[in-house]
Amino acid sequence: MDVELRDIHKTFGKVRANVGIRLHVPAGTIQGILGENGAGKSTLMKVLSGFIHADQGAILLDGRPVVIHSPADAIRAGIGMLHQDPLDFPPMRVIDNFVMARGGSLFPGRAAARRDLKKLAAQFGFALDPDAYVDSLTVGERQQLEIVRLLWLGARVLIFDEPTTGISAAQKERLFAALRLLADQDKTVLFVSHKLEDVEGLCDRVVVLRQGYLVGEARPPYTTRQLVEMMFGKAISIGKRVPCAVGETSLRLRNLSVEDYRLKVRGVNLAVRAGEVIGLAGMEGSGQGLFMRAVAGLLRTTGGRISLDGRNLTGRSHLVSKRHGVAFLPASRLEEGLVPGLDLTEHFVLAEKKGGFFIDWEGGRALAEERIAEFNIRGTPASHVEALSGGNQQRALLALLRVSLRLLLLEHPTRGLDIESTIYIWSKLKERCGQGTSILFVSSDLEEILQYSDRVLVFFNGRVSPPLEAAEMNTDRLGELIGGKGWPEEEWVEEMTADG
Amino acid sequence: MAKNTAASRRRKTIWINVSFQSAAFVLALLLTTVMLLAVGAPPFQAYRSILVGAFGSVGDIFDTLIAWAPLLLTTMGVLITFSAGLWNIGIEGQVTLGAIFTTWILRLLQESGLPPWLIIVLGILAGIVGGALWASLAGVLKTFGGVNEIFGGLGLNFVATALTLWLIFGPWKRPGTGSMSGTLPFPEELWLPAIPGFRLSPWALVLSFIAVVVVYFLLRGTHFGLRLKAVGKNMRAAYLLGVPTWQHMLASFLLCGVFAGLAGALQVTAVYHRLIPSISSNYGFTGLLVAMLVNFHALWAVPVALFFAALNIGSVHLPIVLKLDSSLSGVLQGLLVLLVLMVEGARQRLMSRKIIPAEPASGEEVQS
Amino acid sequence: MRNTLFRFALLALVSVMLLTACGQATAVPTEAVVEPETTEPEVVEPEATEPPEAEEFVFGMLMVGPYNDHGWSQAHYDAGLYVEENLPGARMIYVDKVNPADRPGTTPAQLAEDLVAQGAQLVIFNSDDMKDSATEFAQANPDVYVIMASGDQVWADGNAYIPMDNMVNIMGRMEYGKMIAGCAAALTTQTGQIGYLGPLINDETRRLAASAYLGAEYCWTEYLGNDPADLVFKVTWIGFWFNIPGVTADPTQVADDFFNTGFDVVISGIDTTEALTEAVRLRDAGQEVWAIPYDYEGACEGADSVCLGVPYFNWGPAYLETIMAARDGTYASNFQWNAPDWADINNPDTSAVGFLSGPALGGEAAGLLDQFIAELAGGLNLWTGPINLQDGAPYLADGEVATDLQVWYLPQLLEGMEGQSVSE
Repeated sequence: MDVELRDIHKTFGKVRANVGIRLHVPAGTIQGILGENGAGKSTLMKVLSGFIHADQGAILLDGRPVVIHSPADAIRAGIGMLHQDPLDFPPMRVIDNFVMARGGSLFPGRAAARRDLKKLAAQFGFALDPDAYVDSLTVGERQQLEIVRLLWLGARVLIFDEPTTGISAAQKERLFAALRLLADQDKTVLFVSHKLEDVEGLCDRVVVLRQGYLVGEARPPYTTRQLVEMMFGKAISIGKRVPCAVGETSLRLRNLSVEDYRLKVRGVNLAVRAGEVIGLAGMEGSGQGLFMRAVAGLLRTTGGRISLDGRNLTGRSHLVSKRHGVAFLPASRLEEGLVPGLDLTEHFVLAEKKGGFFIDWEGGRALAEERIAEFNIRGTPASHVEALSGGNQQRALLALLRVSLRLLLLEHPTRGLDIESTIYIWSKLKERCGQGTSILFVSSDLEEILQYSDRVLVFFNGRVSPPLEAAEMNTDRLGELIGGKGWPEEEWVEEMTADG
Repeated sequence: MAKNTAASRRRKTIWINVSFQSAAFVLALLLTTVMLLAVGAPPFQAYRSILVGAFGSVGDIFDTLIAWAPLLLTTMGVLITFSAGLWNIGIEGQVTLGAIFTTWILRLLQESGLPPWLIIVLGILAGIVGGALWASLAGVLKTFGGVNEIFGGLGLNFVATALTLWLIFGPWKRPGTGSMSGTLPFPEELWLPAIPGFRLSPWALVLSFIAVVVVYFLLRGTHFGLRLKAVGKNMRAAYLLGVPTWQHMLASFLLCGVFAGLAGALQVTAVYHRLIPSISSNYGFTGLLVAMLVNFHALWAVPVALFFAALNIGSVHLPIVLKLDSSLSGVLQGLLVLLVLMVEGARQRLMSRKIIPAEPASGEEVQS
Repeated sequence: MRNTLFRFALLALVSVMLLTACGQATAVPTEAVVEPETTEPEVVEPEATEPPEAEEFVFGMLMVGPYNDHGWSQAHYDAGLYVEENLPGARMIYVDKVNPADRPGTTPAQLAEDLVAQGAQLVIFNSDDMKDSATEFAQANPDVYVIMASGDQVWADGNAYIPMDNMVNIMGRMEYGKMIAGCAAALTTQTGQIGYLGPLINDETRRLAASAYLGAEYCWTEYLGNDPADLVFKVTWIGFWFNIPGVTADPTQVADDFFNTGFDVVISGIDTTEALTEAVRLRDAGQEVWAIPYDYEGACEGADSVCLGVPYFNWGPAYLETIMAARDGTYASNFQWNAPDWADINNPDTSAVGFLSGPALGGEAAGLLDQFIAELAGGLNLWTGPINLQDGAPYLADGEVATDLQVWYLPQLLEGMEGQSVSE
């Protein structure tokens, strides 16, 4: 279906999210929509999919103006949107989610729906089990479910909002193949991303948004420099790898084992030196999350020993390890890291943990102001954390950390952030390394792992590689290991106990 | 400058809130009026007789205040657990246990020859302990047993009521026939002193006001209160920020139990002067309603609880004067809470459309 | 938003609990409001248009439950209407739902004062709940007449005698009603197992359960010629006068358990009609079961297939007499424990206690029941020894007749009855 947006305006209070945007996408096109966080991409897509009503402007489908007031209107018109967080119902089965949105009759034709689901899934090479529960699916599989569901509902325009966030490389490949197939079927695909490589590798054409304006268009072959300039108004480079000077061994893991109901991580040995950065690579759910939480004292280990600076922390709670200089930054910032409903001052007062019974609000506000300035957070001491953008939430989390730390554990520290924020965050982290803080971080971004780590642990289905020198790795080799290729049959024993 | 605009924005939000809540109040009144008209009753007279019943004479005003004091206490207790994200439905039982403990100590000491004021003080302290114990039971069930505090609380309420009935008809049975009227009333010197000629004990009021002040500062200005809030809003994040979560949850139960137990103690020493079967007078549940209405603001509880108490007392006149069913006051209270919550939901919707952009903070994160 | 939703759900839960805690208060919510004439309260009542010498006499009534509860409180309310009808100039004002759960912060004494402020010259306290308040009020207001129903404060022989010139205690001898109910149950049961759905345990409820047993045992052996050892009579206490979810045992459940374990007749000692309702349900499912409700004359309505009859109170005549005495200045403190009018136990003008036979009572059984009533009228006293208490201790020696005191303060259930004797 041919999609045309004419002169779309949308403001939120004083913020101009979309200013006079015009966009024409012919049927059968994969249209990339590029822009940093807050550029107005999501707003534009939400206007198209009925979640937001534009202040001004028109939407034309196949040349006919349509009025879209709600997501239901949109899907009736043939527009479906996949959100960054899938809008499904985790405690239900795949098939139930599938038939859920289809109104009409009281009793969903489940058998027919099941057939359709299987047929559609097969068409795209998705392995979706209709009877699996949605909460057992990976993010990638939930996307797949959402795609077939929207197609089943009759979508001819599909909007993907940052679909490559949080899925594995293999799932990304499958997703891209599916998108190309959709385009071949004459569907229109709108692909929203801030990741250059994704856009470059996939899209037939690209528009770039910046601060609410559509600032440019590009067609293949793309040049990265040109796209970056359009996104940021200037050229930015990631910079060279900067290894930190490392000191004495601080964290020592001996034969560490941890498990949950579906995965066992066994016998990890690791010695981390002060100021060292260890990247944990692997597909989501390969054991790196369990491992991190065990080291943080959030999960009970099933064997082995954790010590930090010679102090035994095995079996101690996170509150104890926190006292000894361990900090953990979870990936889900608003679910685990910050307290929605509290403002920044309150967060700093909480985290600072001064003595006394009554709160010194003046001091708290001063501290908040100081940290806000230092970490360049867009917000005031009275800003509630849920009103901050993702990047600012991540900055706030970093700002909340205690001044001196021995060990910093991070899950996906830059997930969902644009390049600039990513660079900023890592500069702050590297500052910490310089002060002797060891860092362990989980990331699904291989470039990030290779760029910032000194050594890398690869996780595959609960198995853990020995620490590998990042400088000697490349993305191809790392990708293979993550995908389970190139692992020796026997346990990997090479230089397990590097220096101790 | 930034601070000023923030403050003025906050003030503006408060006024928006207040106007929404007043709208809810007017709406509740309107609906009740419609209901009255539908059954052919004169609404104006009904409201007037409630007002007269609650404030018509000094005695009436004092009666309203008698109901106000324990209601304030339970509301304060519930606010603490609310802050920690807990629904302490078990507060009824905690009030009851407070009353039982107080009765127990008074019975134990009434022959002891100790000065009566000391017995009363000990009795009230015992009530506080009783309420706190019962609450910590619900807390332990929640934190260690994994029992949702709503179900645990319901169960404990049940046990508390059964215990009261058993005591009244069993071990603490009055001479002659064990009676629904309760245990034998205590001698007058063991009553919390009342204003001469009236039933109102100023001590009960004083204790309730102290409770309001304490809770106000606790929730507003202390580390403990802030941590409770953090635990209530996001337990996992609070833990990662270094708050020992279960300890705080347990502490909030305990504190709530202190206020509930105090309410129970006052029911015995200031109002009924004995243990009766429904000694808690539903103040726990009503306190929950008040707390829901005031949404964490301890000071707002003062007028709202007064309003609820006035409705309860004033509605007595409905059957006498108008032969109207007095459940009208209950209807009004229920409607009020419902509508305030509904209006609150509507407000959140409207405001979120205006303030929180669909793409979080679009444009705020321009290059930096 | 989610939070609001959650609050909503909680609110619903709390409201349900508030309402159920009010128990009967909400049993008939649809009728909760007013009689037609009440819209113009200032208008003078029709009685006042009668001959001018009919001077107005206002009496107040405090009822523990709703005035229209089809049970204990309504029996009192109806008696008040009876007085208004039969005593020119009499006018009733009332407060219902007088209990701490429904009216937090109030005491019956305080409400009685409200009634006096509205002109009441006599106040009726209708429940044992209000015993202390009635005493307190009567002592504080010596010039106001007080009727304390079901109490024993001014019984000179009683265990808790407090002399008060302005108080009268009134109670009906429901023991007879319960004996008749027990007899009807024994005459009907096919399995020889009778269940008694008891409220909470106190002297009154104990003696009523025991009376039902005495009636059942008598008819079982004397009329049917059965071995007393073959009669099972079991009392299950739910813990209160009506169902409070989560607090009392669920009477529906208890009745169901009775019916499903071989008990085919259940006598209700509680104020609500779960036993009857449950019997109807099982009967509709084909089970041969019966039930006997309590308190209120009209309780059998709608349960024709299972209702064997209902023992009920008729407070009207006693109230009329006492209020007349108060008006005429002949009032004297006394303790009344009023027997049925044996000439016609269902005479609304004379009998304090009645038994209205139900449609489910078989023809033969009905004949025998009439015979039993006639025997009682003729002087049969089932409270005659030898009777042992439940634990085997002698209660009445052979031929010994229980005194009123012995009956009123019965310490245990009787030998031959199953169930708890004292609360523990």
